[in-house]
Amino acid sequence: MRVPIEWLKEYVPVQAEPEELAHRLTMAGLEVEAIEHDEGEPVLNVKVTPNRGDCLSMVGVAREVAALYGLPLHHPMPSARSTEPGDAVRYATVEIIDDDLCPRYAARVVRQVHIAPSPDWMQKRLIAAGMRPINNVVDVTNYVMLELGQPLHAFDLDLLPNRHIVVRRAKPGEKIVTLDGVERALQPEMLMICDATHPVAVAGVMGGAETEVTPNTRNVLLESAHFNPTSIRRTARRLQLSTEASYRFERVVDPGGVVCALDRACELLEQIGAGEPVPGVVDVYPRPARERVVTLRPDRCNLLLGMDLDTHTMTDCLRRLQLNAELRDGVIHVTVPTFRPDLNIEEDLAEEVGRVYGYENIPERLPFGHTHRGSDSPDTRLIRPLQEAFVRAGLIEVHTHTLRAPGPLDDPTRPLVRVRNAASEELSSLRNSLIPSLMDVVVHNLARRQTEIFLFEVGKVFTVLNGDYDERLKAGFAVTGSVFPPGWDARYPAADFFTAKGIVHILLETVGIEEAQYVSASDPRFHPGRSAKVLVGEREVGVFGELHPHILEQLDITRRTVLAGEFDVYTLWSLATQRVRYVPLPKYPAVLRDLAVVAAEEVPYQQVEQTARQAGGTLLESVRLFDVYRGERIPEGTRSLALSLTFRSPERTLTDEEVDGIVQQIVQALEGIGARLRA
Amino acid sequence: METRYLGRKGLVTELLRALPTLPPEQRPRFGQLLNTVKAQLQQQVEQRRLELGQREREERLRAERVDITLPPRPLRVGLKHPLTQTMERVRAALIGLGFEFVDSPELDDYRYNFAALNYPDDHPAMDEQMSFYISDTRLLRTQTTSVQGRVMEKRKPPFRIAVIGRCFRNETVDATHHHTFHQVDAFIVDKGISMADLKGVLAAFARQMFGEDVQVRFRPDFFPFVEPGVDYAIYWQGGWLELGGAGLIHPNILRAHSIDPEQWTGFAFGLGIERIPMIQYQIDDLRLFLENDLRFLQRYGA
Repeated sequence: MRVPIEWLKEYVPVQAEPEELAHRLTMAGLEVEAIEHDEGEPVLNVKVTPNRGDCLSMVGVAREVAALYGLPLHHPMPSARSTEPGDAVRYATVEIIDDDLCPRYAARVVRQVHIAPSPDWMQKRLIAAGMRPINNVVDVTNYVMLELGQPLHAFDLDLLPNRHIVVRRAKPGEKIVTLDGVERALQPEMLMICDATHPVAVAGVMGGAETEVTPNTRNVLLESAHFNPTSIRRTARRLQLSTEASYRFERVVDPGGVVCALDRACELLEQIGAGEPVPGVVDVYPRPARERVVTLRPDRCNLLLGMDLDTHTMTDCLRRLQLNAELRDGVIHVTVPTFRPDLNIEEDLAEEVGRVYGYENIPERLPFGHTHRGSDSPDTRLIRPLQEAFVRAGLIEVHTHTLRAPGPLDDPTRPLVRVRNAASEELSSLRNSLIPSLMDVVVHNLARRQTEIFLFEVGKVFTVLNGDYDERLKAGFAVTGSVFPPGWDARYPAADFFTAKGIVHILLETVGIEEAQYVSASDPRFHPGRSAKVLVGEREVGVFGELHPHILEQLDITRRTVLAGEFDVYTLWSLATQRVRYVPLPKYPAVLRDLAVVAAEEVPYQQVEQTARQAGGTLLESVRLFDVYRGERIPEGTRSLALSLTFRSPERTLTDEEVDGIVQQIVQALEGIGARLRA
Repeated sequence: METRYLGRKGLVTELLRALPTLPPEQRPRFGQLLNTVKAQLQQQVEQRRLELGQREREERLRAERVDITLPPRPLRVGLKHPLTQTMERVRAALIGLGFEFVDSPELDDYRYNFAALNYPDDHPAMDEQMSFYISDTRLLRTQTTSVQGRVMEKRKPPFRIAVIGRCFRNETVDATHHHTFHQVDAFIVDKGISMADLKGVLAAFARQMFGEDVQVRFRPDFFPFVEPGVDYAIYWQGGWLELGGAGLIHPNILRAHSIDPEQWTGFAFGLGIERIPMIQYQIDDLRLFLENDLRFLQRYGA
């Protein structure tokens, strides 16, 4: 809200410089976001928190200023206060049907209206406060709204049939053309100001075009009412129409100030010669709001604030805010005026005391009492080792978007969770896999001529599972580039399936999974011959491999291999085995034997190794593949696998004869699966 | 030279071999003389050999010289994202202050995100937190504060809880706003907890994050789940920086979870994770964190 300081000073004699005033208000909770200037005059741009609707006016801000500086408040109380209907009822009647949404509706009538521009001083203030002058009548309603916070509306009384106002919910099918010229379809829960037959204004939001004040207007009905904040908020939102009036009504306007604002408007209209107010007010207020009494125990106040204030200081702070505070039987009783609906409980009063006294006076203290042991969350304990494993593997961590447009890299086996009110397709679903958003990052960086892209992320993915939403942690990576970063003198082969497998291996090792099976994946996102799902026992822990060329094409990635993989964090850790245990270093020397066998391409290496291990028994310490050869002297459709075998006994030195015997057994076993010793 | 004098058929060797042909009385003298000569020659040869070897080595090393000003061979270095590093620092600081971190879902219930936090139905306070709705009752959490209700349902005070993670707000993205960001929330419920405890804990936390000379300042603000509610700022390198919101846990929330506000009070505070590296490194665009440009990550990762 824009608060011209010149205007503010009409209600409180503050002498402080604008900067000092802005700081003081900000520190008391009315944040001054900027000091602007209107024709050289300083204007405070104040951000009012949603609980302080009472500060959405000059008088409201002046009240805070008066409290902070200990100054008197000059309320622009109209000299003549209407209490009786007087003559007004002869000119207009009011009926509230839905008083749940409109607890109070008051009207006054102004006759012999002469529509003209408002005086310069009023126009200047309106402009400084950010409003556009229209004519004397409308300007007065806006002026009073800015001054007191009570929105007013002026109807052309002669255009209201029967001069009768009915406040009710809209009927099905009803429509209204609002002041902005837009025809709006109404819904039954919207509160309307109606004449005898149809709506003439959207209550608390905007007037209707039909009864608008025009240069021909001779008689005016001024409306001042109190509406249910939630109802106004919903209507404004439905109609996508937020106005100065609706903004204030949503934040609660003082029900006690309804008639005062009318009187003030009439006084101003008369003063500027815009018309002659009819004495009297039509005020329908079936259940007047009562002043509440809220108590504050001084001990409790000090406990909450962590201060040591005496009761005199407390009551003084409260009284400065125009609150009636009295100490009775050791307890401060505060009569809360209707303009402060935010003060309901003891804590609210403690806050007012602290705020006025100054939060800078609160000391720093550390809580004492129970000893608490801090700790990481269970998920963090699963995530961190995986992050560190990827970092060891040379990958760079990314944090990618959860919200995405559905795409070809989504996991086809996991239904997407959709956002119901997404502003755009880009934010319309929750990722069901890390791979799509990791690939967004790959594409982003390729477009910026980065060629070595080794990324990982550990994060949440979502799906629908058994009729409910499922949120789980995944660890994923995406990799493209050389096996090692290219330098000025050396080039390395492109990272491929086996590079990815190396990353997977580090991951499994970190968790403590020693035995994993790699079987062909049938995931359409991957190259069918260069991808694997990883099984531990019967459980699938993840999938990885080369991304399908089709998909790379769709991402405009050409002449490049991209590897990606994704692992389920909870499943991985559930299969972890005790990893760290003491194994003595060997005491006896190893015997090494190399062995090259030729086998059909279809025989997987894993089968060869397992066969060798089984045949080798406990003395075969390790099997290491050191070469795969195809070509000369090897028949088409076969390949040569060169194995390095290490034999060792924990108890003695093995003899050559012993080892030769075992090798012979291994060779025989390998022949059994069609792998012959290479000639 | 070596072969000519000392070789198997060298002069000195030949003479030594011829020694037995001399008369016996002359043998010792000649023998001694020859051996001295031989030793001297051997020493000189050895000396020369060392010299030659030395020169050879020097030449080889000269030839092996590289241009040490050529660029280094790049190694592949893994890094953690700047947000991860920041979250680790935040965790370490709060764990040191006795907070127990818990996990809480990103796809949360309206109930925990708003209702359990004392938000009245359809209140303007929610305007600042436009949510991504998944269904009538489920949404992406707009604040990590959503963990409060979950914890209070299950535990009895005293406790000190913290949660860190991703939050979502349905708002337009610019250099200082994003629909996806990270927060940390911490809260305590214990006997006699006051605004002074809040200030002390925030100061201790801020000093761990930003250094010893940090000061903390409160400014009244409004959040439905605290009363009194404040914004807190830290004084750092010559200016006040707003970090987040805080306050004493609203008695309605305690009461709703059968915690007697007369016996127990508590505080809560939260802050945006992104704000911390932005302050530390003077990063001016929030979007960089989720954009993941490698040049950015390599500069701020570790």
